[in-house]
Amino acid sequence: MTATATRPPAPPTSRPPRPPRVISFSQRLSRWDLKVSPYLYISPFFIMFAVVGLFPIAFTAVISFMDWDLVRNSGQFIGFDQYAWILGQPQFWTALRNTFSIFLFSAVPQLIAAIFIAAMLDRNIRAKTFWRMGVLVPFVMAPVAVALIFSNMFGDNHGLVNNILTDVGLPAIQWHKDAFWSHVAIATMVNFRWTGYNTLILLAAMQAIPRDYYEAATVDGAGAFRQFRSITLPSLKPTLIFVIITATIGGLQIFDEPRMFDQFGRGGAAQQWLTITLYLYDIGWGQWNFGRAAALAWILFLIILIIGLINLLVTRRLVRDEGRR
Amino acid sequence: MTALETPPISTTEASDSERMPQPRATRGRNRTTKIRGVRAGFWVYVGLGVVLVGALFPFYWSFLIGSGDSSTINDPNMSWIPGGNFLENAATVVNDPAVNFWRALGNSITSSLLIAASVVVTSTLAGWAFAKLRFPGSKPLLVFVVATMAVPMQLGVVPLYILFSDLGWTGNIGAIVIPAVTSAFGVFWMTQYLQQSVPDELIEAARVDGASMIRTFWTIGVVAARPAAAMLGLFTFVTAWNNFFWPFIVLDRSDPTLPVALSLLQSNHFVDYSIVLAGVLLSTLPLLLLFVFAGKQLVSGIMQGAVKG
Amino acid sequence: MKLSRRTKAIAAIASAASIAIIATGCSSPSDSGGGDGKVELTVATFNDFGYSDELLQEYMDENPNVTIVHNRAATSNDARANYFQKLGKEGLADIEAVEVDWFTEAMEYSDLLAEVPEDAKGRWLDWKEAAATDGEGRLVGFGTDVGPQGICYRSDLFAAAGLPTDRTEVAALLEGDWDNFFNVADQYKAATGKPFIDSANSVLQGIVNQLETAYEEPDGTAVATENADIQDAYNTVVERAVPISAYAGQWSDDWFASMANGEFAAMLCPGWMHGVISGSAPEVAGWDVADVFPGGGGNWGGSYLTVPADGKNVDEALKLADWLTAPEQQVKAFVNAGTFPSQAAAYEDEGLTAFTNEYFNDAPTGEIGINRAEAVTVATFKGPKFFQFHDALQNAVTRVFDGVEDQQTSWNTWVTEVGAF
Repeated sequence: MTATATRPPAPPTSRPPRPPRVISFSQRLSRWDLKVSPYLYISPFFIMFAVVGLFPIAFTAVISFMDWDLVRNSGQFIGFDQYAWILGQPQFWTALRNTFSIFLFSAVPQLIAAIFIAAMLDRNIRAKTFWRMGVLVPFVMAPVAVALIFSNMFGDNHGLVNNILTDVGLPAIQWHKDAFWSHVAIATMVNFRWTGYNTLILLAAMQAIPRDYYEAATVDGAGAFRQFRSITLPSLKPTLIFVIITATIGGLQIFDEPRMFDQFGRGGAAQQWLTITLYLYDIGWGQWNFGRAAALAWILFLIILIIGLINLLVTRRLVRDEGRR
Repeated sequence: MTALETPPISTTEASDSERMPQPRATRGRNRTTKIRGVRAGFWVYVGLGVVLVGALFPFYWSFLIGSGDSSTINDPNMSWIPGGNFLENAATVVNDPAVNFWRALGNSITSSLLIAASVVVTSTLAGWAFAKLRFPGSKPLLVFVVATMAVPMQLGVVPLYILFSDLGWTGNIGAIVIPAVTSAFGVFWMTQYLQQSVPDELIEAARVDGASMIRTFWTIGVVAARPAAAMLGLFTFVTAWNNFFWPFIVLDRSDPTLPVALSLLQSNHFVDYSIVLAGVLLSTLPLLLLFVFAGKQLVSGIMQGAVKG
Repeated sequence: MKLSRRTKAIAAIASAASIAIIATGCSSPSDSGGGDGKVELTVATFNDFGYSDELLQEYMDENPNVTIVHNRAATSNDARANYFQKLGKEGLADIEAVEVDWFTEAMEYSDLLAEVPEDAKGRWLDWKEAAATDGEGRLVGFGTDVGPQGICYRSDLFAAAGLPTDRTEVAALLEGDWDNFFNVADQYKAATGKPFIDSANSVLQGIVNQLETAYEEPDGTAVATENADIQDAYNTVVERAVPISAYAGQWSDDWFASMANGEFAAMLCPGWMHGVISGSAPEVAGWDVADVFPGGGGNWGGSYLTVPADGKNVDEALKLADWLTAPEQQVKAFVNAGTFPSQAAAYEDEGLTAFTNEYFNDAPTGEIGINRAEAVTVATFKGPKFFQFHDALQNAVTRVFDGVEDQQTSWNTWVTEVGAF
């Protein structure tokens, strides 16, 4: 698997030294080259980013202070009303609760599973590549496709899961009525698709742990579980934090799976599985209220920022703890 | 934005496959004394087997339902052996005028390729500059790039939609390509990779030789970046292919990408799961094929990505 | 949402001009369009309007200068998104179909739509035409179909419960008000222990569609929460319909699946529902249609064709829309897809009156539809936010059905929710 990665970067001395050239002009040119080139190289990214990234963000802020008429493409300035409206909606708070709940149901079991699968893959197994590819297969399936398959399996009356449950004498679960279970179902879709991906990231981190640690621990008489707890897990901490942060940013934006969970795509009659982005879509493209949708987009961004800051503080703490130990 | 704070994990070569073969002597030792190195035991394979079954079951389930007919799903005594209607159901999907399968396939391929190519080019250029060239402002700019990774797509959709609908571009695949032509993640990834894989002395040597910046970039940077660029391209391609939120908003239903077309399969009033799930498989097939040929690269790409964490 | 005076004026001039062109163009149908007269017209519909290729070919044969491109969206929701995204800008088809549920939303922008030519007026049922006429008296929608509701029922399940099976007897049994309907339902449930109808929200739909005023007054004031009729409708549905319904709402996977396995015995049934039933349960024998509806007639659904005023071929488009919604063509569309005509003259048409549906035990669905359409006396006023109000109230019913909230709590939730619209 590392055949490409380990290839030597470039033959360092392949070109013969050049004869010296006329000094002054070439030097000036070279200095100019040295100064300007970096900016030339980064400019495609930054120009594009300014157009498709920065401008829309600023424009979203502007629209969020307006009552926008999509068909006539014009707005009226109304101040913070849209923000106040959003924050005054019980639906918003339900959506916020659901988003976090689905996130927790997906992140926690997923990371635990990923750590254990990675630990298994980290053993000296036959057909490494096969197993690694095997756990990653779900990743290539589009979330929409995953959601269609799982929504089918999680049908209230005629779904596979409930059929099995009732066959063994358990009560059927109301996947589309009970908020808790709808979150479990949606989180399952997320877990199906992402566990393998995170497994590989954690596996990479595990393989980076110097072997000597284990050797030494073995000499000290530490068992496999002990080694896992006191060597593997602590070494995974930075990677885990990285995984958690990316999972948070992605998880708080969840849309595809709840959208496809039933045929209406609006989060259920009692907003059981309405998420922030689903709510944003409904306000923007169901009710055609772009001002409110823009305000909600900014609120979502602020939430992500706040969570990011909390992450940052926690990370700092943990790193310091590491240092003290 | 906080990713930078995370200390990168040390190794550059993620794999232990080269180091793996252990001294013969350790072979016979008791398994419990070492966590690695010894051939994994039976239970590891069982565990991995269970994981694999879990990963593949939904595919099998789609095939099972997708190869039956509309009554299969309601049949209480449903057989676990696929029926023979898959091709027929697939044909129904392909021929459904409301789904526009071939257009969707074409759009998915074109847009994902364009996005992947442009992300690779812009990211390699910027990554090279950030990794190996010194210029005023490089630090804060890189921090800025990383910070933008926390910006959700949702923050841009409203104005982008207004903009594109004003320009009359909605319904055009350009509308899904343009917002995705750059990737902060891509820049960050290429920066990290190039930082580690190209020694500074190499560039110094080239400059002493009088090579211009562009020449250095071309002969050293691009060559060194190739493996990482391939992985970034692959990863971007898969992500773009599976993207749903924005294409769903901005594309016409008559001219969709595959995920959007899939959502139409369900929202059609006649929910016949044999057809829906046949469509699901059909739309996943191209990526599965890609995975067969490039899965190895994707695996190592993700693992390298982890290392640059 | 405010109308800009300028755009309104421009649109008015534009449509006035186009009508003038139509008026002259109509006398010589072969001479239209510009220059060489070649015109490509795009028609955008959703679901199935019954506009088959053959039907469109007919028009092209009569008008060799015209080529028709027909785009079909899967659902009316998709079409709705597309419509408002492009109305007043580029990119709409020359003829755009609009569903009645969001038609009032489109009427907000009636100034951006071309007016129906004078000679086509009066073709439709009064209430159908009235709903497409804006405050200034401009008719901007060509009515296509309506959804006069009858009752679809499973005669085998009726028999098992000791109820009559013949469609005239069933009609007699269910003749009367909603109370009578629920009594029969209770009787069925007592006999079989199974739900009588498919969904509680279809009953809400049925009752609300019989109200003069639902959630908004024509002058734009929202009366939703004070309207005693709405509260009555809600209470009736929750108290009487929820206990005898198999599902809260329609269109879920389970709901489709249940069509085939006899979980319920009856459905409120507009014409277009016939195709849904036969398509979802093709192997089930026993479905029939009774010529009756609780509380008088009721209409559910139906669509219009509109011609955006800034299209490239407004005059040609108006002609095609005119032709497509003429009674003869609508009857053909009905035969193709079950879209029941909204044109009064079509009800004399042999193709409609003599039509029987084999799947529904050879029920004369044409005849029944005509009777049901004529029984519709009330056109509910549907303001621009009807869709939102109604959707939220359906959710309230669903919450009670699912046991998430009780009757009063769910109502209160709805009141809070719609207070923010």
